[in-house]
Amino acid sequence: MGLIQLRDVLKTYHAGVQQVDAVRGVNLQIKAGEFAALAGPSGSGKTTLLNLIGGLDQASAGQVIVDGCNLAQCSPTELADFRLQRIGFIFQSFNLIPVLTARENAEFVLMLRKVPVEKRHDRIDFLFRELGISGLEQRRPMELSGGQQQRVAVARAMAAEPAVVLADEPTANLDSDTATDLLFLMQRLNREQGTTFLFSSHDPKVIGLADRVVNLKDGRIVE
Amino acid sequence: MMSLLRLAWSNLWRNRRRTWITLAALAFSIMLVQTSHNLSTGVYSQMIESGVRAGSGHLTVYRGNYLETRDEKLGFNPQEFSEKLKSIEAVETVLPRIYLAGLAQSSRESRGIVLSGIDPLLEQSINPILKRLPASSGLPDMASRQALVGDRLLKELQLKEGSKFVVTLQNRQGEMVSELLRVHGVVHSGIRHLDRSLVMIGLHRAATLAGMPDEVHELALILKNGLGNETPAAEIAALLPGDRGLRLYFWDEAMTNLANAIKLDYASQQFMFLIILMIVTIGVVNTLLMAVMERTREFGTILALGARASVLHRMLFLEALILGALGLLLGTFFGSLATWYLVEKGIDLQNWIEGELEFGGVVFEPVMRAVWEPLWMLKIGIYVLSLCILASLYPAYRAGRIVPAESMRK
Repeated sequence: MGLIQLRDVLKTYHAGVQQVDAVRGVNLQIKAGEFAALAGPSGSGKTTLLNLIGGLDQASAGQVIVDGCNLAQCSPTELADFRLQRIGFIFQSFNLIPVLTARENAEFVLMLRKVPVEKRHDRIDFLFRELGISGLEQRRPMELSGGQQQRVAVARAMAAEPAVVLADEPTANLDSDTATDLLFLMQRLNREQGTTFLFSSHDPKVIGLADRVVNLKDGRIVE
Repeated sequence: MMSLLRLAWSNLWRNRRRTWITLAALAFSIMLVQTSHNLSTGVYSQMIESGVRAGSGHLTVYRGNYLETRDEKLGFNPQEFSEKLKSIEAVETVLPRIYLAGLAQSSRESRGIVLSGIDPLLEQSINPILKRLPASSGLPDMASRQALVGDRLLKELQLKEGSKFVVTLQNRQGEMVSELLRVHGVVHSGIRHLDRSLVMIGLHRAATLAGMPDEVHELALILKNGLGNETPAAEIAALLPGDRGLRLYFWDEAMTNLANAIKLDYASQQFMFLIILMIVTIGVVNTLLMAVMERTREFGTILALGARASVLHRMLFLEALILGALGLLLGTFFGSLATWYLVEKGIDLQNWIEGELEFGGVVFEPVMRAVWEPLWMLKIGIYVLSLCILASLYPAYRAGRIVPAESMRK
């Protein structure tokens, strides 16, 4: 059985009187430990699908089951707890909290999980070493380059050892070399720590690094 | 909690100018409310002290319903208990007084008067009217025909010091009686109606004239420390004979004009305080709401990372708490500074206002001085802090309703 299971998933948005079907009857399984990519042009439903898997949004129809949790049956509080315990997010615009240092940003999820300070420090020290950003712990996001910020975001996503890391266009705001470096890093973490990665991109170079590619078009999976 | 506190603190200083403006408004309003209250309390105390010394004392003994009716027949003999009253530790002095309505006639004019029988020796150190008597006049003799006359009455009767005039009134037996008096000195209370009607003579002469020897209408008690927490009212009341219809009144029952004027003044001031605090609350709501609006995407991220809405609630609560606490500290610092100045130096109104300052029928010193009311200052601080916390409720509610997926699309 897959870590992520989507069965006949439909997501419809209402923009005024207009109805937009962002995801149309998607069936998908992602196994634990996979390094998978969602590929497709803008508007193909990549972000919507990641939001549904990450419990940021709920499907209009169908089932989204992640790590045994049927997200359609969860209350907002249960969804928050699900995200905290099982999901790591990496966003396109890094989304670091500007008033916190790199270390505090990376520790944020651990703080929410009430992990003791020493354990938090150890875990972040380890991840910063792995990600090659040791020494930047006390810098604020605006004092870091785009690539460094995204590495801090990866550390934040990995800090609580989630079941799956969801990355929405993680390299979209990075130059080509930095993007490739970041993907290699994510790949290494996937290999070494066994963390499942599902990321979206429309950059063929980035997509090419994935073990498995799921192509989307107009809200549907295409071969 | 510590990390949230640090986050809340950092959030406050993202927009330094806005936070400083809000803090300045908070601190200024706290300072204003604390200082105004301390000054008012000081001025009210001055008024009450002036009022009770010239008027009916901190505590007063009357017989029956004399206070309401001013029935001259309701006199009483205080001899057997006034000495006991004087011996009470908290009592500074006991002033016996008689008030009689009558007519004063000079060779040219006549006017309605209040003939007041007093003990000048007892009154001189207490009663501000007698305190203002020129040293050259000296006090009138208790048993003589010497009288102190209000300055306006003196003018209206066309008298001068040393002039003779006749006072006519009805005694207790219902007979019209007259007495020839001589102007010994001129008194000026600053209260118009008193200065045009007051004639003061010795207590015994007044009592004899009214046909009520040894009796008085009023026994005014002046307390050493004013009306503090330990008023000896119960002790005094216990010393009054129970069979003569005597009753002890507090100053605010005996001087309702002054008491009501103070109440009204303070009520209007409290209304002002309320408006000031409401404006400040709106300011805090605005600051926090703006902060929420600006951070929609960030709050969305925090929620996406797995925080419950309550984390955002707590964070905004802490931001409001810090803002309120800083405002409280700054406001109380400046409020204390202003109060210290007003306690030490006061505000001398003589530079701005000519003539006497009368309020509620009482003339008071033209230098307004504050008093320290630390508990009240603390109370207003806690109010403001509570208002800040209340002000965070709506912004916190708005923050908690942010949908992460939507906020991230913006």
